[in-house]
Amino acid sequence: MKKYIMNVKSLFLLLSAATVVSCSDEFLNRPPEDTLTVDNYFSSDAQVAASTNGLYNRTWFNFHNKAFFAIGEIGSGNGFSYSSDVASLKTLTISSTDPELINAWRGLWATVAQSNNIINNLATGVSPAVSQGAIDTAIGEAKFMRGLAYFYIVRLWGPVPIMENNLEYVNTPLIPTNPESDIYEFIERNFESAIELLPEKVRGSNYSSNARVSKGSAKAFLAKVHLYQQEYTEARQLAEEVINSGEFKLYGGPELPGKTFGDLFLTVNNNNEESIAAMQWVASGSYGTASNANTQFAYSPYINMATYGGVFAPSQDLIGAFEPGDIRRKETVMLPGDVYPNITTADGPGLVVPADIDAQGSGAGIKKYVVGKTSDLAGPADSWGMMENNTYFMRYAELLLIHAEAVLAGAGSTSDGAALNSYNMVRERAGLDPVASFTFEDLFHERRVELAFEGDYWYDLGRIPQSMAIAIITAQDRGDATNSVFVTPPSGDFLRLPYPATDLAQNPLLNQDPVPYNFD
Amino acid sequence: MGITLHYFTKWLGRGNTVLYLLLFCSIGALQAQTTVTGVVADNNGMGIPGVNVTIKGTTTGVATDTDGKYTITAPDSATLIFSYIGFNSQEVAVDGKELINITLDENVQTMDEIVVIGYGTQRRQDINSSISSISSEDIEDLPQVSIDQMLQGKASGVVVTNNSGQPGSSTSIRIRGIGSISGTNEPLYVIDGVPISGDSQNKATSGRPIAGGDFSSQGNNSVSPLAMINPSDIASIDILKDASATAIYGSRGANGVIIITTKTGRRGTGKLSYETSISFQEQSRLLDAMDLQQYARQQNALAAAFGMEPRAEFAQPHLLGSGTNWQKEIFQTGILKNHQLSFSGGGENVNYYLSGSYTDQLGTVIGSGFKRYTFRSNIDAKVRDWLKVGSFVTAGITNEEITLNSQQNGIISTSLLQAPDMAVRNLDGSYAGSPENNQAIAYINPVALALTKSNELVRKNFLGNVYTEITPIKGLTYRFELGANTEFSENDEFTPTYQWGEFGNELADLNKRRQNWYSWNIKNLITYRNTFGNHDVTLLVGQEANESVWDGLLATAQGFLSNDVPAIGLSDVAGRTVTDYRGSQALSSYFGRVIYNFADRYSLTASIRADGSSKFSPEGKNQWGYFPAVSGSWNLSNEAFMAGTKKYVDNIRFKAGYGEVGNQQIANNQYSANLAFFDSGLGLGPLGANIANPNVKWESQKQSNFGLDFTLMDGRFAATIEYYNKQSEDFLVVQPLADMITGGFQWEGGLAAPYVNLGVVQNKGIDITLNYNTDPNKAFSWNSTLVFSKFKNEVTELNDQLTLQRSVNTNDYTTVTATNTVVGMPIGMFYGYESLGTIKTQEQLDNAPLTDLGTTDPIPSLLGDIEYVDQNGDGFITEADRTFIGNPHPDFTYGFTNNFRYKGIDLSIFIQGSYGNDILNLTRRSGTLNAFPYTNQLSEAAGYWTPDNSNSDIPRPVNNLGHANLLISDRYVEDGSYLRIQNITVGYSLPTDIISRVKLTKLRIYAGVQNLYTFTKYEGYDPEVGSFNQDALLTGVDNGRYPSPRTITMGLNVEF
Repeated sequence: MKKYIMNVKSLFLLLSAATVVSCSDEFLNRPPEDTLTVDNYFSSDAQVAASTNGLYNRTWFNFHNKAFFAIGEIGSGNGFSYSSDVASLKTLTISSTDPELINAWRGLWATVAQSNNIINNLATGVSPAVSQGAIDTAIGEAKFMRGLAYFYIVRLWGPVPIMENNLEYVNTPLIPTNPESDIYEFIERNFESAIELLPEKVRGSNYSSNARVSKGSAKAFLAKVHLYQQEYTEARQLAEEVINSGEFKLYGGPELPGKTFGDLFLTVNNNNEESIAAMQWVASGSYGTASNANTQFAYSPYINMATYGGVFAPSQDLIGAFEPGDIRRKETVMLPGDVYPNITTADGPGLVVPADIDAQGSGAGIKKYVVGKTSDLAGPADSWGMMENNTYFMRYAELLLIHAEAVLAGAGSTSDGAALNSYNMVRERAGLDPVASFTFEDLFHERRVELAFEGDYWYDLGRIPQSMAIAIITAQDRGDATNSVFVTPPSGDFLRLPYPATDLAQNPLLNQDPVPYNFD
Repeated sequence: MGITLHYFTKWLGRGNTVLYLLLFCSIGALQAQTTVTGVVADNNGMGIPGVNVTIKGTTTGVATDTDGKYTITAPDSATLIFSYIGFNSQEVAVDGKELINITLDENVQTMDEIVVIGYGTQRRQDINSSISSISSEDIEDLPQVSIDQMLQGKASGVVVTNNSGQPGSSTSIRIRGIGSISGTNEPLYVIDGVPISGDSQNKATSGRPIAGGDFSSQGNNSVSPLAMINPSDIASIDILKDASATAIYGSRGANGVIIITTKTGRRGTGKLSYETSISFQEQSRLLDAMDLQQYARQQNALAAAFGMEPRAEFAQPHLLGSGTNWQKEIFQTGILKNHQLSFSGGGENVNYYLSGSYTDQLGTVIGSGFKRYTFRSNIDAKVRDWLKVGSFVTAGITNEEITLNSQQNGIISTSLLQAPDMAVRNLDGSYAGSPENNQAIAYINPVALALTKSNELVRKNFLGNVYTEITPIKGLTYRFELGANTEFSENDEFTPTYQWGEFGNELADLNKRRQNWYSWNIKNLITYRNTFGNHDVTLLVGQEANESVWDGLLATAQGFLSNDVPAIGLSDVAGRTVTDYRGSQALSSYFGRVIYNFADRYSLTASIRADGSSKFSPEGKNQWGYFPAVSGSWNLSNEAFMAGTKKYVDNIRFKAGYGEVGNQQIANNQYSANLAFFDSGLGLGPLGANIANPNVKWESQKQSNFGLDFTLMDGRFAATIEYYNKQSEDFLVVQPLADMITGGFQWEGGLAAPYVNLGVVQNKGIDITLNYNTDPNKAFSWNSTLVFSKFKNEVTELNDQLTLQRSVNTNDYTTVTATNTVVGMPIGMFYGYESLGTIKTQEQLDNAPLTDLGTTDPIPSLLGDIEYVDQNGDGFITEADRTFIGNPHPDFTYGFTNNFRYKGIDLSIFIQGSYGNDILNLTRRSGTLNAFPYTNQLSEAAGYWTPDNSNSDIPRPVNNLGHANLLISDRYVEDGSYLRIQNITVGYSLPTDIISRVKLTKLRIYAGVQNLYTFTKYEGYDPEVGSFNQDALLTGVDNGRYPSPRTITMGLNVEF
């Protein structure tokens, strides 16, 4: 009987023990154990500063990976490909289910969503230990990136919704679009706010400290945004502020004579003095933090040792676009016999382009953003063959051309000294003779050869009179080296992309008339 | 004499018992005694060890030995009783006989009698809810490595499909339809009291795979959570199907519960048994891909169509050979070997079962294989009359070679697309690369990759449960159970350096994943059972707590000094990265149940459970959920007025039940706004990981069940017919938000959309089980079971602002929308365009609608393009013209099991099938794209439309993957109905008198063939497609699935 009582005792002991374990609130309260939450993150300057790192990298990955170049280069006629994932851009028949269209859309909205998160979270709850300066800089960077993402979005799709807090739309996913003019207004406000919040900077030879955007970066982009709206006075003023600040320098220009145009694209020169803003790639253990340009552009795995890629080639039209003596030709397009001592291949340092180079049947290959296989100059690659060479959002050379164009201000031609100074700096760096005057067509051509394969020409074509864009595209040979192909652009606003079908299904208001945005 | 007797009894009545006993014994002693010997055998003539042989009216008895022999001394007038669990007892008068041989009949009725229900057992005839039971005999001889695969076609209402033929891969089990859209639809398994989730995706726990990188191998590569259990150890499987049965499991019961009980020892002489089998497995079907001549002609034709230079080496196709047949290169004959040794037995107070097994499977696709070692020890002991203790412990170690099976470099689909002009090996024996081309379009040599790259997964699983059961007073038991389950998994994925043609890998890569996971489970159960006259009452009160903890480490290294030793220490320091993940979840529960039975005629069961879950916000009101159930039955046959009908129809029972259960299987911390950390050129930084939903709560499911059981012909024919109506409400679903709001997937830098509770899905269905037995005592016996399951799934409510379209990544590196889910339709319907074949005539062309898929101008079709139906009649083919083009859900599924027995020979035939389901054959789509050069296609792709072949319905080739011809349409939807001869096995048991000479009690040899033939119209490898990684919205999408092989098996069972 004693034993029996003992057992009953232990029974209740066990019961109560189990009840204590399971009843305590602790048992059912399990915050994340391998990450932090928004509520407990922003507690030091260093944490706030790191919160914008992803806005230079991951959020751009989807857009940059292929669509950035497929649209910017193949669509514009600089590039050429038979690869069926990007070929719709060659014939200007991009459908709403096009995979690269969807990637571009997702990536750009990722930057908007994450920028909004930072802006809203920093505005509401930050530990008192965080300095106002750190908050301002982070919000400034987020506004810069939000403005930049919307700048791409509006140029690619036109009217879209302006969203300043994505969480507000979770339960009301039917969001009307806002007119383009409101979106441009929104972009300007973002860059203006960034100019106020971001620190001043001078881009020195310590490249790693040049990586983040500054007041000057925001001004440069605001100048470009004004230029797109033909607001030449504002564009010129901002461009001149940037030029006069001395923040940026032309690589191989008068202030940095030891460098060359080609050096701009070596991984070791990431964040050089000419870089106004750039995506900051790194080869890490996870997919999606490095640049795919080297694998997509190199004409053969012989160069990059990648197991896939080689999607892009230069178009016949671009190959013939360079003036004789333009050093940018060799740094943009590879032709048989070209020598690249800085590119390491499967056979070791130095590439002599073979006579049978024939990427996509083009008889040539792309050079810009091709760094070769891993080397001291090219840096490491990740497991997917992606590398760390940064992608420019804007270089100082473009700002000089923006300045020249803003001075030209829509006139037929100009011989204004300020305009010529900027314009000729770019030409002379390219090994070409200075000119005494230039027309808009000259400048437009200069932009194309300077910025080819940097993902910009499509947008340039989209901001000129449509008749001019049609004339340019109709005249382009969009075939390979042996078969010329000419494409007549479709009627209508053919440089506008369709909204992705999946999002249109979620939000049919995308196809309705825009409604004005309430900026309050 | 009469008076004497009268006094004698009176005297006895005074309590002189001792004397009475003495007298009785002395009388006994005076009687003539006989020593009786004999053999007790079963219907097969095999001796049964451990049979109790007792003298009627006494406690005197003996047990038979290993051969079934016994010797007992009994009075001439005595009657011997032969009894053994699972057999009908027999009584034989001694009458001076010295040899009494007995054949005991198996009592099927008795075997089935006890059914395991949640937290208890019940007699089959008392069960008010819907429970299917499967015994070990039902699944023996099936050469499958994992139990879930063996359930196919064995129970009504349970639809089992193998998601992949990869050894050890996961299975989709759907009990009574599909109730959850985002969460898992897999049932809860309770193995010897230890709960295990059927979700192979770890959706609700770590969210990470246990094999491969987190994001790089997102193929259909999930592994079965049950692969480490040795099927031979299983005694019975009870499947709780309706909510009135599963409500006692509350928040874990929504997808049904499968209770697995392993074998225990039986009282009697120890038994040693050895089972072995060997199986040969082969792909029964290859697809008709182009050979080199066909390929060369096709390449020339495509070059002409795309405006490219034709390839010089293909100028004379007829001079070429047949090239490489990549399908033949990647398939091999698989071999499955099984050995299992078990010891069981028991004494007065202790029973034991010990077993060990070894399984070795070589997959039918090169580079795949599976090995398993298991050990089990089940012991239960009676310490005192009122105290029982026991333990179930098993250890399973599996070692898998996982082949390339991801979405875009899956070895099966790659083998179809790899050009036949590429050799497997060069003349020097090294692997060949693809011939150089100027577009860098090539698929890596799949044989080389599969055999060079290694992806090994080792899982060490330990599962055990110990219990103490105390019976302080009659009818009252207190049971304490402590169960635990832990798994350590090690995955090493190594890609060495190689150079195959121009494709090379300069830096070797190593991914090492180490994950450990454990869960513990405490149960306190108090059961009280008593009978008062005709009233039988069972009460249960219980408490349970469960915690799961996981922790994983993922290290990568790049650049090795040698390909031979893939150790991180030999890698380039700069190429090393490491990351980890960890988390835990907890569930706290209280429950109670009452079972009331009146005179075996009326029965009522009611239960309730309260669950608190860590999945939901501790601050809100949704952390606790309550799950009630009630069910009842009426046994009509036991009513007095039915006595007359018993000889025609018996055991008529009507059952009805209603229950509410829940589902909480979502990822952790959906209620809080979490951060995800990413690397960048600026260093590590956080991005928002998700959109929080603090109000997320339980998915709830309400199910009604109505059933009828009856037997005919003296119980030989038995039928169970059940109807159910299952309604899933507030189902947990990832809110399908536009990319505009989320910015894409979380790993791409977007915000993961929140889990929300929305909508209603209804499943209505009928389950029928029919069983027929001939007289098992005849020399020839036949047992046949037909199970039939039919359900209709329909979404009845959905937030109308949301679209549940699901896309898949195809082999051509694009993502296509494959299914859509809307109100009024079943979930996961195939979604696309309705096609009318190619445009063959000018007249047709003139009338064909223009294609307007967002391009600036609508695009007119050309001759040879596919014409689609303009559903909304607006004159254009737009996104709005997509419609439902196929239903992945079958009209019904069935299984037909037949066992024949003639003396020592047994034969079983198992047929299983599915009718009325469609399959979206994306493998066929990628095999007929004709969209880019340097890629092989199916032979049928050559028959595309040309002006000279204008009857073809295969469209003209266009060098654009986005072209309307390649849209997902009914062109790729095929009838997936099939009837499969799943298993035929013939066995022969040697007669006892022969084998008893070598001290054996059983020796059976058998041979069988599985997956012998499939009757189907489906043109892919295998109509049994399953769900892509168990995703209910991607059911029936064939995207290069690893097909199930045909298997020939030979085996041997020996018992001592």
